[in-house]
Order: sequence, then structure tokens, then C-alpha cells
Amino acid sequence: MNRTEAVTRPLLEVEDLTVGFGGFAAVRGVSFHVQPGEILGIVGESGSGKSVTCRAAMGLLPGTARAGGRVRLEGRDLLTLGDADWRAIRGREIGMIFQNPASHLDPLRRIGSQIAAPIVRHLGVGRREAMRRAVRLLDDVGIRDPERSARAYPHEFSGGMKQRAMIATAIGCGPKLLIADEPTTALDVTVQARILRLLKDLNRERGLAIILISHDLGVVADICSRVVVMRNGEVVEQGPIDDVVSRPRHPYTRLLVDSQPSRRTYPDVKTEPLPAAPLLSVEGLSVSFAVRRGLVGRLAGKAGPFLALDGIDLQIAAGETVGVVGESGSGKSTLARAIIRQNRPSAGTIRLERQDVHALAGDALMAFRRRVQMVFQNPYDSLNPRMTIADAVAEPIWRHRLADRRTAERRAGELLELVELPRALRDRKPRQLSGGQCQRVGLARALALEPQLLIADEITSALDVTTQAQILDLLLRLQRERALTLLYISHDLSVVSSICQRVYVFKAGRIVENGPARQVLSVPRNPYTQELVSSLAQLGPKKSASISVAALNNATR
Amino acid sequence: MTDAPTTLESPPPARRTTVSMMVATAILGGWLCIALAAPLIAPYDPDAVDIMNMLSPPGAAHWFGTDQVGRDVFSRVLYASRVDLFLCVVGVLPPLLIGTTVGLLSGYFGGVVDNLFMRIYDLTVAFPFFVLVLAIVGVLGPGLLNFVLALTLVGWVSYARLVRAEVLTIRESEYVQAAQCLGYRPAAIVTRHVLPNAIGPIIAYAVNDAVLVMLAGASFGFLGMGAQPPVAEWGVMIADGQAFVQQAWWICLFPGLAAISLGLGFAFLGDGLGQIQRRQAAA
Amino acid sequence: MAQLRLIARRLIQLAGVMLGISIVTFLLLHMAPGDPARLLAGERASAETIAAIRMQYGLDLPLWQQFITYVANLLAGDIGQSLRFQRPVSELIQQFMWPTLFLTVYVVCLAVPPAVALSILSARNPGGTADQIVRLVGIAGLTIPVFWLGIMMSRFFGVSLGWFPVSGYGVGLAGHLHHLFLPALSTAVWLVPVLTQSLRAALIEKAMADFVTAARAQGASEREIFWRTILPNSVLPTLNLLGVMVAFLIGGAVIVETVYAVPGLGTLMIGALLGRDYYVVQGLTLVFAMSTVLVTLAVDLLAAFIDPRVRA
Repeated sequence: MNRTEAVTRPLLEVEDLTVGFGGFAAVRGVSFHVQPGEILGIVGESGSGKSVTCRAAMGLLPGTARAGGRVRLEGRDLLTLGDADWRAIRGREIGMIFQNPASHLDPLRRIGSQIAAPIVRHLGVGRREAMRRAVRLLDDVGIRDPERSARAYPHEFSGGMKQRAMIATAIGCGPKLLIADEPTTALDVTVQARILRLLKDLNRERGLAIILISHDLGVVADICSRVVVMRNGEVVEQGPIDDVVSRPRHPYTRLLVDSQPSRRTYPDVKTEPLPAAPLLSVEGLSVSFAVRRGLVGRLAGKAGPFLALDGIDLQIAAGETVGVVGESGSGKSTLARAIIRQNRPSAGTIRLERQDVHALAGDALMAFRRRVQMVFQNPYDSLNPRMTIADAVAEPIWRHRLADRRTAERRAGELLELVELPRALRDRKPRQLSGGQCQRVGLARALALEPQLLIADEITSALDVTTQAQILDLLLRLQRERALTLLYISHDLSVVSSICQRVYVFKAGRIVENGPARQVLSVPRNPYTQELVSSLAQLGPKKSASISVAALNNATR
Repeated sequence: MTDAPTTLESPPPARRTTVSMMVATAILGGWLCIALAAPLIAPYDPDAVDIMNMLSPPGAAHWFGTDQVGRDVFSRVLYASRVDLFLCVVGVLPPLLIGTTVGLLSGYFGGVVDNLFMRIYDLTVAFPFFVLVLAIVGVLGPGLLNFVLALTLVGWVSYARLVRAEVLTIRESEYVQAAQCLGYRPAAIVTRHVLPNAIGPIIAYAVNDAVLVMLAGASFGFLGMGAQPPVAEWGVMIADGQAFVQQAWWICLFPGLAAISLGLGFAFLGDGLGQIQRRQAAA
Repeated sequence: MAQLRLIARRLIQLAGVMLGISIVTFLLLHMAPGDPARLLAGERASAETIAAIRMQYGLDLPLWQQFITYVANLLAGDIGQSLRFQRPVSELIQQFMWPTLFLTVYVVCLAVPPAVALSILSARNPGGTADQIVRLVGIAGLTIPVFWLGIMMSRFFGVSLGWFPVSGYGVGLAGHLHHLFLPALSTAVWLVPVLTQSLRAALIEKAMADFVTAARAQGASEREIFWRTILPNSVLPTLNLLGVMVAFLIGGAVIVETVYAVPGLGTLMIGALLGRDYYVVQGLTLVFAMSTVLVTLAVDLLAAFIDPRVRA
């Protein structure tokens, strides 16, 4: 051990921490420490206890929780503190920022006053001086025109700006430690990259120690020096980030690393020349939404309709896997909704083998429904909460008169088997299933009509990374077995580029770049695509040998 | 599979009933029995005038005393439950059915129907509920039938508004979009996917509305705009007794207590339904 | 600027609603089964009287012409003539409105402080003993018929104890306060649970909001969090409800004024209804609707003052 390390006392020591809710132990025997000025990552999936651990260190557990063990800040035990002592530490010694900045800012108070409040409270300065510091802090966290922004209300800020304001609030009193609980999960990738850079800068310039909690190993690897991996309330592994990523010791860590989209290999996609006539072709498609205005707005004659899609051209050949990538508001979901006739085009056409999709009616429309199906984003919301999953999968079959009800039920059973759902779950309602299971049901339901073209809109974005990897494996297996044509829509460039042959990059309703997936990812031409690629918080290319699906399953038993 | 084993065992069944529900069942069941069996239970004919026994206080012969013309208050309270209970049903069901239908159409299909409905809604809430019902009854002429008619004419709007709000949320849910994408007919989507998920809060609202309808019915009887004397109705009985309240408090007291207890039955039912729905939502 | 735009928007909406209100009150008279002229003249009127009334009120004209005359009269401030009193309805309303207004304000003053206190008490420990008691008493309060409570209270506090007068309006502020105490109290018994339920639910919901956790993480004390964060964020729904309730009270005054013989708009309304004085009913309905609209407008502006998001 190096001498300097030995004398540096850890800033925060967590020793054998246990947190229980009633009879359930959410965190068991967790120990780690944070050195002054370092960035420690805590990574784990939902339910791993990573957030509970940090809330325990902040004294923010709900009244029903019981914490045991020791949490020491510069040698002082925090868990035994009284309420007044806690308040002197929260916001002063330790700052905290959260996943959803929109809901963590008080909607009724101006940004500046929210940033100034802890300064007045902890440093005993006057309101005017605190407001001056608030403006400076806004400047420090990279908000343009800080004077004016300080007078704004939270709803006038974008998501990224709200998170910057949260950071300003947390660092206003010059804390030694910042706990960042999934600070970028609710944000777009390019915004995420900028917020991470800001955190890194604050760490370097102010010597601010940071605990970064994330489900995303890529994000943690990006800025942390050490990482703690948690699962089911326990620490399974910790150490320097490079060691953990390149030589994971615990099987779960290995699974986590290998589930990263950038680390996964999929059977090489063949890039065949496009057949003369594509299966689906979109020409000059525009979709506009009326901006809701009152009579006064109309009289003032401001802003026309909002163009969600603006002249999109796109082709999908039979058997192809095409990706659409873009951030929120880019129009990628509007495209999916326009294809399945949820949104009417304001200009342009969508054709399925020369038939104008939006001109269909009657039997031709029903035939179209059988050929094009979609899997939705939110696993729970996409299933009717009052129907059993077997009924949900059988319903399309008998409604389309492909079989009588009895046969439809049998076919539904086969489909659920196809998506690897245990037989015992068939009579469950959606809320009795996990997110991954629900998404399998959604897949089975979409396949019930045996479609040619399957649209998958962000189908894994609500899932944990290991579940995401399983759903992707399943999707690709089904695609192979059933010769499906796939339109895969996602905000995640790394997933899209690893499973698709071609990608379209969307920005603000337009296509900014398209081409073979590998090429778009490795040599992006458009500046926006370049920013998107460089924002990818991902692990380096894979060094270890590829891992089989069987090994994945073994690792989790 | 990482996501399967944790949920294979059945979750504990949510408690289906609450204390509120049990109390509500007892009270409402009791009143239903009383209303049905009034002729069997009542010791006297509710309309039998007995000049010899005017304004006699509660006692062994007349448990709740007698009124200004010697009618037995106890018997009248029992018989009145038939009117008031009936009022709760016919005052709630028509607005519920009309409102739900309009709300479903308005919320799901939007367009002209929705626009028209929203204008009607804006207009209806511009009038104090009580005043509008009162004015309509006044113009149509006092009486139970006109009261129910006026109540329906005004009341369906709030049901429709509530259903519409539920439907607007449900319409945006992915399971409805999925149903549309799967090519189900609108009628199938509305009845099988939208309505079952929208109806819970509406039922709870209707039960709480029953309390208001009962109170409004009694109030109208009291004002002389609802049930007409000599029909035994709690509101009418209280109005009759008001002039004699100084000598004979019992004429007013017991019909009021009866109204409160029936109201409590519905209020507890609404409370219990609300609790169960919240519990299901949390599960 | 934002407030001005909101007011302009609301005023334009208001014009539409006002037109709608006048259509409804106009049709009210024509909704009655049979001949409006016969209604106005009374059951036993002769054919000549009816014909004369039809001429006098322009009831022989086409409906749309009658409506235009009606709106023109409204714009000129003429909302009709009482058949019974032989006076303009507007004069009658001016005479009878003060007790009703006084009573409404009185009820709000009596109901809001206990409602706020009980909500805070309840929400401090949801599901606790205090909360359960407040909930049960609230449910009971909602089911008590206001007119029955009024009769019982006037018998007990008025007649038996002799603390309060049981009818009339009194003279001077103190007299009004004394005379209207029982009517206001009977109504408040019903209003307090309505407001408490709403505010309690909002307080409990907002106490679990993310921004409360954030404030705690910044070292704010529980007291500061409650008064500066939870309470301001919780009042909006209750404020809207209070607006609806005030409008409801103005209309609901009908009952309590009858019980306590308060010479207010409610008493005027009942008298007109029972005496078939239809132009008074029509005029009063119009005025009740106008006051509802104004109360709603005031609440909306107040909401916009509290919540910046409403202004946008």
C-alpha cells in the first residue's frame, strides 16, 4: 500500500450497513468508502438497493425503514445523529441530486430563490448576497444568461437546465461530497454527456467528491475511478473501474458487463442489395400537430402548427432490419404512429407494397393490420390491466376470425411458449408480472396475427440492462425464425447499430443521416450524428471471449 | 431467466373488503329490508289520522311519538324509506347511464360531439346546481317525478365530464393504441378495453352522489318542491313538524336521523370502494 | 403580461358563457308545459287576460325575436318585472342580496380555519387516531341534511338556551353576525368536511413529492418544509373547490334562508317559485349564474397568482 493513501482518511465510510423495511432487508451488510476528491460509482439494476444505501447516508430514509451498521463522515458517525445535527450536514457537508430534476424542483418558486435557500440557511448570509451567489452558481453550472434564469420558474427550463439548477442548489454551500442518484437517466444522451462533463469539471476544479449512482455501467465507467457493484441489496464486487470492467470476478458483474449493448455481438447481419420494390416505403412524409391556442393567440397570429415530421423518406425491404435513432422530440415515435395509422400525415405517403396505407379501409385495412404490427415502449401500460395475458394474446386471433375462441386460446398458449414465458403465468394479470415478462407478452400479442413487418418502438428502454439483453436476443431469434422485417426504433445508438443493417438518424423531425449501421457508427458524417456517437457512454470494445446464452443463464442461477 | 423466478409464486391476495364496506352493507341492507317489509313491521297505518292522540311524545304506544294529526311517526319513518331509497336509485341511475355513454363517446371519438359536450358542460357549471334544479322543478311544477327529471337533466353532465376525463387518459395508453393497431373495431375497444378501466372511479362517484341525491330529495320535499304531502317522505315530515318543533321535537328529529343513517350507508360504501381502488392501484 | 393575457383570454370565454346563460334562462320559461302566457296569468285567468298578457310580453312573436328582445333588455340592465310585487326584478335583487352575500362570506370565514386546522392535524399522521376521527366525523357531517340541522339547532340554541335569534337578519354588523350565526354554522358543518377531505388528500400527496425530499436533502427543517413547500403546493385544488363551493352556497342559501327566515335571495326565490312569479325566477337564475361565473373567474385569477404554470 502506498504511504499517502494510508494517511488520507476516507471522507465517507460505510460499514456493514443494513436497511430493513418491516421484515424485508433492502440493503444487507454493505461496506465501501469514498476518498476526498474521488468519484465513486455505484452500479446496479432496479431493486439492487443502491438508492436506499445513499439515502441512508443522507438520513433520508422513510420513517418505516430501520438502518443498522455505521456511516461515518470524516470519522463522525451519522446514523446516531439527531434531527438538528442531520440538518447541519444535509446541504452543507453533503449535497444530493436526483434522477428526475423536473419533479425535484418546487414548481411554485423561482429558480434563483431555490438555489439561494440553502445558502441563507447554512451560511448565514443575507438574502441579497445569497441571490448574488445563486446567479454566480447558475453561471458556474453553465446556464446562459444567469441573471434572467434566476428569475425563471422551473417549468420554463428544459430537462438539462433543470438538472444544472439542481446541481447549483446542491453545491451552493460548498459541500465536500455530492451524491448523484441516477442524475442523467431522464435526459437525452447528448444532454447526459454534457451533465457528466459538468460533474467531472466540478470534481476537478473544486475537489468535490462524488458518488454517482447509476444503472448504466457505461455512464459509471465514463467518469468514475472506482466502482461498487450491487445486486439484491448486497455488494457483489468493488474495485478500480478498469479492473472491474475488464476482469470481473463475480458472475453477475460479468453478466452486467456482457449485457452492455456495445459489448454484445449479434450474428453478422448480411447487407444484401435492396430488392427493386421495398416492402414499406415512406415518401416525403410530414406530420403536423396543431398548437393549441386560445382566441387571443389566434388573433395575434403567432406560430403555426408544430411539424413533428418534416419530409421523411425511408424504405424498408422485406427481411431487413432497419433502425431509427434519435432523441426525445426527434419524431421517431411519430413515424411509428404514422405507419400504424395513429397519426395522419399532413403531406407525403406511406406505402406497403404500393398500397397507400392511409387510403385503406374495410377488408384491405384488416389485411394491413395482419401484416404490420407493433410492440410498444412501456411494458405495463401496453397491456390491458383487466385482462389475463392469455386472453390478451388470444384476442387478436379470434377478433380477426383466424380461429374460433377455443383454438385462439390454444394458439395463444403456443405463442407464450414461443416467447419463453412459464406456463404458470398464463392466467396472471399484467401487474403480477415483471417488466421483462410483460414485454414478452407484448411480443407474443404482436406476433399473434403473424405479421410481416414488426415495429419495435423503444421496447427495452424501460427495462434493466440484463433484461434488455434477453429481450433483444428473443427478438432477433423470432426475427430469424419467422423471417420478420423489423423496424427498430430507439434512442440508444449502440443497440441500433449492433442489431440493424441500416440506420436512419432523426433530429427535430428530419433525417440527418442514413446508411449502413457500422458506417454511421464508425464514420459519422453529420455533425449531430458525430455528437451522438461521441456522447455514447459505453465500455470500450470487448476484450474477452464472447459469452454464450447458456453461460448467461448459468451466471444468474 | 433473471426476471422469471422472483414472481412465480402467487402474490398475497389483496384484502377485498374493509370495515367501511361492512358497515355500509349492514346499513344499506337494513334499510332495504325495512323498505321492503314496511307493511309487516310498521305498527300503524302511516296515514291513519288519530285526533285523540295528537303530538303525543315517544312512549310505549308510539315509539317515535305522533305528529300534529296523530299519525304514528315511527310507521311514517319506515314507510318514508321506500320513497327516499327509491329516490336514491332513480336519482342516480339515469344520470350515470346517460353520462357514461356521452362521456365515452365524447372522450374516445372527440370531434364535434366532444366540442358540443364541452360547451354544454361549461354552461351547466355556470349555474349553481341547486338553483338550476330548483328553477326547472319550479317551472315544470313541484313533484317527485319532475324533481327526478330535473336532476337527470342537470346531473348527467358531471358524470359525463368525469368519464370523459378518464377516457382521455385511457385513450392515450399503449394498450388502447395496441388494440387500435391490432385492428379491433371501435365498439370492441370502447366496451372491452376503455370502459372496464374507466368505470371504477365513476361507480365510487355515483355512490357518493347518492348521498347528495338523498339530501337534495329531502330538501326539495322540505321546500315543498319534491314529494307532496301527505306522502310520507323524510323531508316532507320534517317540514310538517317544523311549526311544532317547540312542543314536539320528535316529529323532526327521527326523520332526520333516518336520513343521516341512510346517507352514512352510502358514504361508507363510497369510502370503502375508494379504499379498495387505492389498494388495488398500489398493489 | 402573462396575467393580462390570461384575463383577456378568460374575458373572451366569459362572453360566450354569458350568452349561453341567457339562452338557458330564456328557454327556462318556454320549457314549461303549456302556454307561457297562461302560466304568467295564473290558472283561473280568462281568455282575454291571457291574450292581453301575450301581447304585453310579446309572447305572440316568434321565439328568436323574443330572444333578441330579451338579450337587448338584459344589455340595458332590465332583467324583468315581478308580477307579484309589480317592481323590476333588479330592484328586488338589490333589496334581498345583502343578507345572502353576508351569509356566504360568514360561512366561508367560519369554515376555512377549522378546515385548514383539521387537514393539517389529519395529514400529519395519515391513518393515525386523529386522522381516523376527522375522517369519520367528516363523513357524518356530509350526510346531515342542512335544513334538519338548522331546525334542530334553532330549537336547541335558539329556543331552549336562548343564545341566538332563530330568524331575521338583525341590524348593524353585530346584529347580522348574531342573527346569522346559526344559519352560517349549519352550512359550515357541511362545508368543513368537504374542504378538509380535499386539503388533507393534497397535503398527504405533496408531502411525498420529490421536491420535498429535495428540500430535506438541502437541510430544510420540517417546519420550513411544511409552510414553504408542502402547504403552498397543496392549496390549489382546495382553492378551486372552494370557488365551486361558494357558488354552491349562494344557490344553497335557498334552504338555510327558508329555515331561518332570512330575507335573502333564497327566500325571494322560493317565494317566487311557490307564487309562480316566473320573471323573478328567471332573473334570479340569471343573477345566480352570473355570480357563479364571477366567483370562478376570481378563483382562476387567484390560482394564476399562486401558480406560475397556470399563467403560461
